[in-house]
Amino acid sequence: MTVIADPSQTTVHTFGAPRLLAGVAELGRVDLGHHVALHGEPVLRRRSWLSGATRDVNLLGRGGAGFPVADKLDAMPSGRVNVLVNGSESEPASRKDRTLMSSAPHLVLDGALVAAHALGSSDITIAVHDQRSYESLMLASQERRDTAGVRIVRTPDGFVAGEIRSVINGLNGEGYMPGGRRILPHHHGVDARPSFASNVETFAHLALLSRLGVADYARTGSTSEPGTSLLTLIGDVGGPGVVEVPNGIPLASLLPGQADAPVLIGGYHGTWVRSLGGLALDRVALRAVGAPLGAGVIARPYAGTCVLTEVVRVSNWLASESAGQCGPCFFGLPALADDVAALAAGAGADRLQSLARRVSLVRGRGACAHPDGSVQFISSAISALGDEFEAHARYGSCGRPPSDVLPLPGGVA
Amino acid sequence: MTTIEVDWTRCDAHGLCSRLLPEKISLDEWGYPIIDGRVVDPALVQAARKAAMACPALALRVERGAM
Repeated sequence: MTVIADPSQTTVHTFGAPRLLAGVAELGRVDLGHHVALHGEPVLRRRSWLSGATRDVNLLGRGGAGFPVADKLDAMPSGRVNVLVNGSESEPASRKDRTLMSSAPHLVLDGALVAAHALGSSDITIAVHDQRSYESLMLASQERRDTAGVRIVRTPDGFVAGEIRSVINGLNGEGYMPGGRRILPHHHGVDARPSFASNVETFAHLALLSRLGVADYARTGSTSEPGTSLLTLIGDVGGPGVVEVPNGIPLASLLPGQADAPVLIGGYHGTWVRSLGGLALDRVALRAVGAPLGAGVIARPYAGTCVLTEVVRVSNWLASESAGQCGPCFFGLPALADDVAALAAGAGADRLQSLARRVSLVRGRGACAHPDGSVQFISSAISALGDEFEAHARYGSCGRPPSDVLPLPGGVA
Repeated sequence: MTTIEVDWTRCDAHGLCSRLLPEKISLDEWGYPIIDGRVVDPALVQAARKAAMACPALALRVERGAM
């Protein structure tokens, strides 16, 4: 395992030989010379090859939804299309995308070129909202000659603004908000053309896959999901920071200690689980147990701290991040956050019923994933942290010092 | 099959839809419609269309689609 502290204070770890983060521990940022020495020139493949290879290695999108990349490629029509690389990392707990863009920008560019070539396009947009990633990608793009068709765009901050459909609407001049009708990027994307749109990490994997071929790509990881993943580990974990790990490893190996402690999987649209049990880093299996990996955030509060303090804090923040377009989200999330706060302050069973009713009123009634994701965070906290809520209902508090591991924008650590 | 759907970005909780189609639409505590299943019973299609046309925010869609 290698550990470094990069200038943004995000610690980077790898388990086994790093791939996406190859060279990062030694160099900090991998410039063009080192990138070519490590990975060679990008290997451009035909569409049929890429579609088959992404299916063979079961490459799943890394933005949160975990949609199969092969299906996304196959859904692209022929004709004039473009590629959208979403680096608008809007999950406050996640650092993996900006770490990738700021330390291995050429791998992201390679992946975008691989996808564009396979789709017969040279039209690439990379959407980013943090300054360091933007500068790193701009510099990388200037370092090489094959990026004439690449446009790097700054996008605004905000949880909902970073969702891919918001990014597309924003790029098309309509404001960074999701639309009311569920229109998919491969039908109507950037510049009203079909877009192959995915998260930055997905593109870095496309570059590796194209370079290595299926057999070598699949030398690490599990049989159901070959390759590696970037995760952001927070709180009482082996090594907090961004980590590259082979798929399939037991999550307990990343979070040694506390065998029976609540863990947040997936981020602020994610799921609280009572304990890690035998869970492994397997997107399909995690989804099947109701705790999808989402944006790749795994957080565990320290033993002896009050987790409910953090649940209340994040619930309030989620409510404040509603874009205000859809009533059930705009009114429902603040009401739910109030319910959570009241329960943490010792309210009893009546309030729990009101919360349960409101959960059902918010879920599925919005234009984007924000209401559903927020409800997932809140309702999983209620079920996984039952002991804590019970202690608070009985005594008004658990007497432990507040947990303070989940980051929020604006410096609330 | 006829389906009914709300565009949540448009809906302003006027509540007319619930008055015109009470068999299918109730209102939540904030006045927004709760639709009892997307599929509209053939007997209610006429009323559903009326409700959609009456919506001041043009937020209700009634669509005929294949199964």
